[in-house]
Amino acid sequence: MRKIASFVIVIVALFAVTVYAAMTGSVKMNTIDFITAFFNFEDETMAVIRDLRFPRIIVAMFAGAALSVAGVLLQSIMRNPLADAGVIGISAGSAFVTTFVLTMMPALFMYAPLLAFLGGAVACFLVFSLSFKSGLNPLKIILVGIAISAMFTGLREAFVTLCGYMGVMVDGTVSSNLSMRTWSDVQIITLYGMIGLILAVTLSKWCNLLVLQDKTAKSLGFNVTRARVIVAAVAVLLAGIATATAGVISFVGLLIPHIARRLVGHNHKVLIPFSALAGALLILTADTLGRTLLAPQEIPASTIMAIIGGPFLIFLLRREKN
Amino acid sequence: MQIEQVVFSHDGKNNQLSGVSASIPKGKITTIIGPNGCGKSTLLSLISRNNKPITGSVQLEQKDVLDYKPKQFAKKLAIVYQQNDIPPQITVEQLVGYGRLPHQSFLKRDEEADREAVEWALTCTNLLAKRNSDVSALSGGERQRVWIAMALAQRSEILCLDEPTTYLDIYYQIELLELVKQLNETYGLTIVMVLHDINQALQYSDEIILMKATKVVAQGAPDDVITEQMMKDVYDVRVLFTEQPSIGRYMVPLSI
Repeated sequence: MRKIASFVIVIVALFAVTVYAAMTGSVKMNTIDFITAFFNFEDETMAVIRDLRFPRIIVAMFAGAALSVAGVLLQSIMRNPLADAGVIGISAGSAFVTTFVLTMMPALFMYAPLLAFLGGAVACFLVFSLSFKSGLNPLKIILVGIAISAMFTGLREAFVTLCGYMGVMVDGTVSSNLSMRTWSDVQIITLYGMIGLILAVTLSKWCNLLVLQDKTAKSLGFNVTRARVIVAAVAVLLAGIATATAGVISFVGLLIPHIARRLVGHNHKVLIPFSALAGALLILTADTLGRTLLAPQEIPASTIMAIIGGPFLIFLLRREKN
Repeated sequence: MQIEQVVFSHDGKNNQLSGVSASIPKGKITTIIGPNGCGKSTLLSLISRNNKPITGSVQLEQKDVLDYKPKQFAKKLAIVYQQNDIPPQITVEQLVGYGRLPHQSFLKRDEEADREAVEWALTCTNLLAKRNSDVSALSGGERQRVWIAMALAQRSEILCLDEPTTYLDIYYQIELLELVKQLNETYGLTIVMVLHDINQALQYSDEIILMKATKVVAQGAPDDVITEQMMKDVYDVRVLFTEQPSIGRYMVPLSI
């Protein structure tokens, strides 16, 4: 009952925020005008909204969904409630590799999703191998992850500064800002995002089994290592694609799964779809607030998430100790 | 099962097992005993394939256990560990249902057989009334029975138990060992377990494997293996044995 209510509320809220996001901004419309214009393909104001605002809304929703599901998957493979693609450096790895390769070889822009995936995979592998000996201790993973994240963020910043000195145009695919998203961004994130989300749902049974201790899962004939690698690959795909289109946004994968577990429980068959919806709602709300609060100035969604997410991580860490 | 000349080491330096040979008779209760750190649990981990021997082999039905596919092996042998983390928010029935995993594949699933096996496992372990309870809300003894039920749902012929009584008080210890005995007598399950309590080993075993310092020192019927001399040699404890009309031979420790 509570599960159904949670789903209904999130879907209704998502719909409402979507409509609000489409209506507000530098070009404003009231509800009635919006509805009539929506079905009128000649309307010029609507054409502006369609080309500028809709891509942004769709990218924000998919990025939020992808990042929260990536968080759920990472938390299940690491048996750690604190794992998040942004916090443990997967997003930073994606961002660095994508920016680096595309600046050096701009012709490869079509491969941005693949590059983001590779960068994320390297970061994920590093975090895993460096914290595996400690039995994937939650705090150890976070510490190793923060180090990896700092390293890739530093590399990217150094690279961008260097390019500035040498007068090289830095590739702008990865920016921490959701403005200026186009329909081609939408194509990329919906295609790969959908693939990732569908894979995540089909892997939900594995995620449930990964909650068991390795030795127990193994004794049931379950191939734990194979499952970990495959689920990790899907998580990196989701996090990478979100980074390649919406930039580095941390803490979504931490906040949403945590709240989602309280609302709909620990079964991944329900948890994954719910986290996707709630993540979409969160990032869309953050982005919409960011561009309306101080209009015409914009606060990036990633900044808003960092402001909410930082204290939330501290709260979770404190709970973890008790 | 046959264990032949097994050598095993965790770190490649100190052997946890150095050339161990033993056999597990089918349809019997075999108990592995020995002082702390002698390699009892390690031996069980090799029998259950959780660890691989450096040299030597463990054979089940004349076939090396490592040659079985994971799920195929899980249909032959199930194991209950000493300590288990309980997943959050899971009912008894769901957890026991995980025991059906070896019988399921991505495309194929016999739901009728799954349901029957879970029902049977819950009945054997006397958990039918608790089937919808959250596992974390149960007592220690009930939890241990849930893990045994999960192993039973695998419908394997061999059940391994690693120190099943360690964290339980005396009531649940007896309850659990009676359950093990009943599973063996009623369903012909082959049982392999590690126990610390010599008297429990005496009372509930058909066969004893006695270990000391990474080696097997004796294997045989409890009355032949567990003697005053052996307690002195292996544990360095002086004991005497008495007879109890209802339970038979009984060990009383005297001094060290």
